[in-house]
Amino acid sequence: MRLVIDKVSKCYEGNAWALKDFCLETGPGVLGLLGPNGAGKTTLMNILATITRATTGTVVWNGTDVKRKPDALRAVLGYLPQEFGVYPHLNAVEFLEYLAAVKGLDATSARRRIDDLLKLVNLADARKRPLGSYSGGMKQRVGIAQALLNDPQLLIVDEPTAGLDPEERVRFRNLLAELSGERIVILSTHIVSDIEAAATEVALISQGTLVMHALPEELLCKAEGRVWEWVVPTSEINALKQRYQISGAVRRADGTHLRVLAESCPNGAQPLAPTMEDAYLYCLCSHRAGGAR
Amino acid sequence: MKFLRVLYHLIRADFLERTRRYSFLLVLAFAAYVAYGVFAGEIVVRLDEYRGVYNSAWVGSVMAWVSTVILSLAGFYVVKNAILRDQVTRVGLVLATTPMRKSFYTLAKTLSNFTVLAAMVAVLAAGAVGLELARAEHSHLEIATLVAPFAWLALPAMFMIAALAVLFETLPVLRGGAGNVIYFFAWAACLGISVGTGSADWLGFNLLRGSMSAALKAADPTHEGEFLLNLNINPSLHASQTFLWNGVDWTIPIIVHRLLWVVMAAGIALLSSLFFHRFDPAREPWRLKPLAPSLGPAEGLESVGSPPVAQTWVSTAGPLSPVKRKPGLRPIVFSELLLMLKGQPLWWYAIAVLLFAISLLVPGLGVRSGAAAIAWLWPVLVWSQMGAREARNATESLIFCSESLLNRQLPAVWMAGVVVALLTGGGMGLNLLFSRDWRGVAAWIAGAFFIPSLALAFGVWTGTSKPFEVLYTALWYLGPMHHTAGLDFTGAAPTATSPIMYLAVTVVLLALAYFGRRTKLAYP
Repeated sequence: MRLVIDKVSKCYEGNAWALKDFCLETGPGVLGLLGPNGAGKTTLMNILATITRATTGTVVWNGTDVKRKPDALRAVLGYLPQEFGVYPHLNAVEFLEYLAAVKGLDATSARRRIDDLLKLVNLADARKRPLGSYSGGMKQRVGIAQALLNDPQLLIVDEPTAGLDPEERVRFRNLLAELSGERIVILSTHIVSDIEAAATEVALISQGTLVMHALPEELLCKAEGRVWEWVVPTSEINALKQRYQISGAVRRADGTHLRVLAESCPNGAQPLAPTMEDAYLYCLCSHRAGGAR
Repeated sequence: MKFLRVLYHLIRADFLERTRRYSFLLVLAFAAYVAYGVFAGEIVVRLDEYRGVYNSAWVGSVMAWVSTVILSLAGFYVVKNAILRDQVTRVGLVLATTPMRKSFYTLAKTLSNFTVLAAMVAVLAAGAVGLELARAEHSHLEIATLVAPFAWLALPAMFMIAALAVLFETLPVLRGGAGNVIYFFAWAACLGISVGTGSADWLGFNLLRGSMSAALKAADPTHEGEFLLNLNINPSLHASQTFLWNGVDWTIPIIVHRLLWVVMAAGIALLSSLFFHRFDPAREPWRLKPLAPSLGPAEGLESVGSPPVAQTWVSTAGPLSPVKRKPGLRPIVFSELLLMLKGQPLWWYAIAVLLFAISLLVPGLGVRSGAAAIAWLWPVLVWSQMGAREARNATESLIFCSESLLNRQLPAVWMAGVVVALLTGGGMGLNLLFSRDWRGVAAWIAGAFFIPSLALAFGVWTGTSKPFEVLYTALWYLGPMHHTAGLDFTGAAPTATSPIMYLAVTVVLLALAYFGRRTKLAYP
């Protein structure tokens, strides 16, 4: 099972390039696609999900060029878009049955799977309520269920935890981690903790280009020895913000404890173990500053 | 001053948003076509064999009246989305949190609608100037005389349309497709009353008729004829004689009378504020109901008081049932049919059954054919969702990544639409079958194929249900209801058009729907 993204670019009207020569190759596991807003994540997701055509470049699924045979990928694809709607008069079962029919699934086995999926996403008790009466989080869970309907080999989820409460978010992360064994899961998000919890690989994207594709540990290594805790008077914070990348601040009795990203130790600061968020910010800042990956 | 500034910005934002859409350009193109129609003689106002000399008064009045009639129908549908857009874009939620009063909002929306309609009127007025110069039947152009009918006839009527559009948007019953259909019949009735009785002359028809008839009477005292508006007339109906008409004498009482319609429009706008719910989500048809208390923690998650949920890592995906692939058309057709019919109230089905029964069992031909015709108007809001449902409900991204979509889902939508046509119009079909009227049966089948094809083509290309609702209602009104030659697709009358023609049109419409959907898919 292999997904190869080879020099994929996408240009929108007005010569706006959302992606530029994006290359990436991945296999089974959870690939966390991390990047700031407007980095090109959703464009890439739409291209992989066969919703949008790449301007140049190819996407190859198990040796088949998706441009030539999109159905080869579509048959094994589960896609949860960032934004989607539902049919308000249908209930969850009817909506999922409809999508199962559109995806070409056998009605009997689909019905059993829908029951399981609704339990999985904690909507079993609301299964007969019209979708129009669902909250945003409940609709999101219906979206998760539909993405898993056809037992996909490639599962693409774009900002899946947006709108979920903390409990459901944890539950969904766990689910992704479990699902990843025999399939490729691409998790696009700008929420670093989601990646931290579920991803087996991380791809960092910024301004339409791949900044880094690495294991989470490798990403953390990038920030090793560059994260510091620095206790400073609150009045100095604004001045320090101009000079340092600050990833966190907590006010305490002895002053404000800053979490600072810096190549060398600021005067009086103590070293800290980097988190994924530190590593993400560090790599992104280095990239913006023109640093090598 | 602050009041005016807020009003200005509300209207400006709305106007810019609308005029930067393709639909506005389409309507402008339509307005330009109307101007051309008058120039080319396809749209003619005449008094029997007479028409006026193409001077500023005649050209301005004819263009103003024709544009008033056309924009009072088409313009309504163009502007009937001002509040809806604020709701869809969620700008309404922001506006609702400001100190703005409801009456101010509905008044501002009315003015915003009016601005868009007035822009169209302005295009037609410019067309009238061009028309007079091109026709050159009169020596000189009198701008004031030419523009006056636009100012005093068209604009007050546009105020009425603008206010009515807001009223329709604020009344829940009239907000959706039902309102689109009801407005068409209300418009036809008002036009009929205005022309027939001379009362409620909001389109200014009688004002023009009176003035023109008086001028013609002076030129030809024997004339007793009538005032006609012809669209796409055949050459034999062209006016053969001309007379000089110097226009309506716009006296103060006439102008005040015309301005009364503006006052009435303002009244309607204020009335609308009584029904406007200020974007309160609780007043929307789908308000969030509280979850049932039985909805406990998810399986595999600990309840309150247990260790933090982040530490739990239990198997949840394991027991998922396997799923088999079995691509086929039948399940999608059933699903599409369910999608079309789910959500209709019980009384909708009751009336559909009643129409079926009347068109099958009632002995009187008039009642039977009337019921048969209505039976195929009744599901207009069901058909109008075809092809547009994905865009309307934002499910494109879920559906358009499915395999063989063009060869499975699109035909399934069409078949479901045909099933609806066959079921709702079944009474008439059975009747034709029992009476062995084979031509009628063929026409009925052609009609059952034609209607969903028209809906699908319009839905796919426009992404909204409104164009089909309006066009189909008008087509139904002229064809099955009034048996206009060439437009009766039900085969109910001897004047019905050949089923072969409608089958041919069906094929073209299906091809259009197919290619329309194809263009929306990255990988067809």
